[in-house]
Amino acid sequence: MRAPLRWIRADLRARKGQALAVILVIAGVVTALLLSATLLEGATNPWRSLFAQTRGAQIWMRLAPRTDARAVARISGVTAVAGPYATTAATLVQGPLRSQVELRAMQPAMPAVGRLLIRRGSWLRRSAPGGVVLEASFAQAVHAALGARVVLEGLDGSSVRVRVIGIADTSDQGFYPDQTPGLVWALRGVLHQVEPIGGHTDEVVGLRLANPAATGLAVQQLVTRQGSGEVLSVSTWTEVEQSMARGDPLLGLLLALFGLGALGTAVLAIASATGGRVLVQLQDLATLKTLGFTPAQVMAMVLAEHAALGLAGCSAGLLAARELTIPLLRGLPAGVLPAVTPPPAGWLVLIACGTELAVVLATAVPGWRAGRVQPMIAVKRLPPSGHLSRLARAALLSRFPPAVVLGARAAFVRRLPAALTVGGLAVSMAMIMIGLGFAATVDDVQRHPADIGLAAALTAGPGELNAARARKIIAADPQVAAVYPSVKVNALLPGETTTITTLGMGAPGRPYPFHVAQGRLYHAPGEAVASEGLLEVLHLRIGEFVRMPIEGVPVIFHIVGRIIEPEYDGQVLAYSLDTLSQAGVATPPVFYSLVLRPGVGAGPARSRLLAVSGNRLDVAQAADPADQIGIVRVMISCLIVVLSLIGLTSLFTASAVGLRDQLRDVAVLRAMGLTPLQVMTSLVTSTSLLALIAAAGGAVAGLALSSRLINLGAQAYGVGGGIGRAPSAEAITVAVAAAVVAAALAAILPARRAALLPVAAMLGP
Amino acid sequence: MTGQARPIAGGQAGTALLRTIGLTKVFRGDGVSVRAVRGVDLSVSKGEFVAVMGPSGSGKSTLLHMIGGLEPATSGEIWLDGQRVDGLSQARWAVLRRHHIGFVFQVFNLVSNMTVADNVELSALLGGATRRQARARREELLGELGLAGKANAAPARLSGGEQQRVALARALANHPGLLIADEPTGNLDGSNTADVLRLLGRVHEQGQSVLLVTHDARAASMADRVLNLFDGMVADDAPVRAPARSSMAASGVLRLRG
Repeated sequence: MRAPLRWIRADLRARKGQALAVILVIAGVVTALLLSATLLEGATNPWRSLFAQTRGAQIWMRLAPRTDARAVARISGVTAVAGPYATTAATLVQGPLRSQVELRAMQPAMPAVGRLLIRRGSWLRRSAPGGVVLEASFAQAVHAALGARVVLEGLDGSSVRVRVIGIADTSDQGFYPDQTPGLVWALRGVLHQVEPIGGHTDEVVGLRLANPAATGLAVQQLVTRQGSGEVLSVSTWTEVEQSMARGDPLLGLLLALFGLGALGTAVLAIASATGGRVLVQLQDLATLKTLGFTPAQVMAMVLAEHAALGLAGCSAGLLAARELTIPLLRGLPAGVLPAVTPPPAGWLVLIACGTELAVVLATAVPGWRAGRVQPMIAVKRLPPSGHLSRLARAALLSRFPPAVVLGARAAFVRRLPAALTVGGLAVSMAMIMIGLGFAATVDDVQRHPADIGLAAALTAGPGELNAARARKIIAADPQVAAVYPSVKVNALLPGETTTITTLGMGAPGRPYPFHVAQGRLYHAPGEAVASEGLLEVLHLRIGEFVRMPIEGVPVIFHIVGRIIEPEYDGQVLAYSLDTLSQAGVATPPVFYSLVLRPGVGAGPARSRLLAVSGNRLDVAQAADPADQIGIVRVMISCLIVVLSLIGLTSLFTASAVGLRDQLRDVAVLRAMGLTPLQVMTSLVTSTSLLALIAAAGGAVAGLALSSRLINLGAQAYGVGGGIGRAPSAEAITVAVAAAVVAAALAAILPARRAALLPVAAMLGP
Repeated sequence: MTGQARPIAGGQAGTALLRTIGLTKVFRGDGVSVRAVRGVDLSVSKGEFVAVMGPSGSGKSTLLHMIGGLEPATSGEIWLDGQRVDGLSQARWAVLRRHHIGFVFQVFNLVSNMTVADNVELSALLGGATRRQARARREELLGELGLAGKANAAPARLSGGEQQRVALARALANHPGLLIADEPTGNLDGSNTADVLRLLGRVHEQGQSVLLVTHDARAASMADRVLNLFDGMVADDAPVRAPARSSMAASGVLRLRG
């Protein structure tokens, strides 16, 4: 054991740079994998753990007043019922801020099903009749702290002053503001004060099923039995789960994809680096054999050396993930990631062991080859092929600098290592291009939100003003470029189990500027556009007709186009506002979608509108796509660094192997009269040329894949294909140039050493 | 081919450290086979210094490599300390070399990424020495060979003579019974050659057997016995200090094989 350890130590000392690069590569890969695991966990777990902890109900139904809620419990498969709870729409007023809430009356005793997890403060109690409990994400979004005094206003103007006595998590609905209105729980007395007549009070019932997979069937049974007139809306656990996970699994999956890609590339790079190392060390390995090292010992040495590097890399990666993940993810704006849960220990072990195993496997073949080196090897210092190609001869004859020609020729003399180097580098470059493509797409989303259907930065409701007055104030604002009257109506499809969002937006002839990916925008009443997610759910194609009950009235829509829609889980139907009135649907309350002038921030514009209207307008900022962009960019940068390191490792190998092959040639050439500078040029040329070929090839492959991958991802997510962007020409040029420069730099030091060695020493015995 | 009936060149079979019987090596390549060594019978007694001479291409180095297990023999037998070793696996050969055979080559073959000290200690550690023992042995050997000050130098920074002395120190680290030296002075100048030969003489005096391939008559003159190889066969085998030293009708030549 001692002798192999001594050799490993000496070998690591002799190639500190390469060893460090390998450690960094592995650490980077482990960090990326762990980050993705954290994001995936954080994205999927909040619902799962919340649901388990609250003994949640799989189905939540909103029933018309005076519906016999007990009857629904008699459906087969229902094991427990939560509620019915009286519930009413109200407005929560806190200073100048007004937010729509759903006020739910509950008892001081926590129910057995559909419980609430108290995060701060306490649950409702009789000793605090004026106390309310807010849903945690809503409380965070509206900055309502524990103990805050707020006012609840009913629809007919009665108001009640209450105090926030608790903040709780629930699995009933997703996070605010994705899921609105905000949830507020109070004792029945508070509800009566807010809504004394009870005309606007509905009942909410939660059903816990024996078999969650049968949710769809149960909903259909319920709707059929109760009649769609009594069931106002239904939400199921799948919707809640999806809504809690929104956006984040995409990020996690993206990162996981990159992490696994990086791992694959790293395995290639390490295999080629180790292979190159063995090739360079053939003579030393043969000497070790003459000293009495057994083949198994030599192989074990190579494996152990890299396993140690792998272990160091994994540890560094675990540490970096711990020190990086938490600050990075904690620094996110609220609501982007609901809960940053570090992945369970099993994940850590799996990732660390998997990476370590991959490293050992990557070194297995080179290690085996090292073990088989014969003790009396006639080390071929001369490269396998000796003749100049026709191209090289032509280049020399046409007075091309001989150093460059010789270097270019030398790059391809040993084909297999050259192919490995080019392959490894090209994969790194292709992945970098995909990363840059993601960055470009994300940039584009940030710079032109309209391209993904987010034209309106603000939405405004009349609030305390009448519609005409509100419209006038908004239209008069110099920062507003366009105003689109809009309504948002949920539709419960007869044959389906989910509620979808339909938007009536814009007047006839002046539709809201959705980004149309296919087909065209709606122009006439009855025409509609849909997002990819909806088309998929309803198995619809552009040009087809769909019948949909809106507020109980069946309306027939002609689908004329597909829009990009990142909101509402990608399940949206949009049409012009007059479609509803023509179909005889009572128009629900209208709000306004405001497109701001270029360069105007949504925050300042909102403040200004609030100020002008004396805080009587109800102005909300649309979801800001920029929220997630910061983190995407940070992660892409990190991955590009990891991939560059991988590429650099391949380059070091290429340069070392190339030098070994060329050493004898170099000596002969120098004896013939090549200057040290020419020798250096030749050596640097051969490595740089390989890098150039790899970088160009990788860039082309990466570009071809990048947009396609992004569109596939967006399609899978429901946003819809068509948002992928290619990286800018500058970014591509910089990446390729950086690869070539890095190759030149990686080759320059060893080349200099070789160029200055005494010729006799290189020619050797 | 059996070992018992065959008389052994020189020495007595009973005290032989090394015996080869009909050792043959055929290199095959490009459809041509080259018979590098053709049935060499050789014996080296314990403590004997045998020089192998012969023109280039006569099979000297190949013979030594086969004896050290660096190259497998095509046919024939190798007996080391009474044990037949020609059929051993690479791993068994490696263990054997570790403890019983020291090698010195014309191209010094030091491990390039290890210091002088590490090169010597590596061998000792491989032989089972503890770190402390290895260090002590290395200090002793380098001191004897006049390299005490070079312990931490990289091999590439040493002169040829120094490198060969390091190689010798490494070969002797485990007190091998047999030291095989393949033209150890081939790359050295006069004074370095003299140094290395003196050291080989000292190894011999200490009772270790030495098998030396050389072109240098002066080096050969230090041996107890000189074996002349020609075209892969033993052409002559004569004790150096015997009166009939110059006679070509050497008594030791037993058999020529074609």
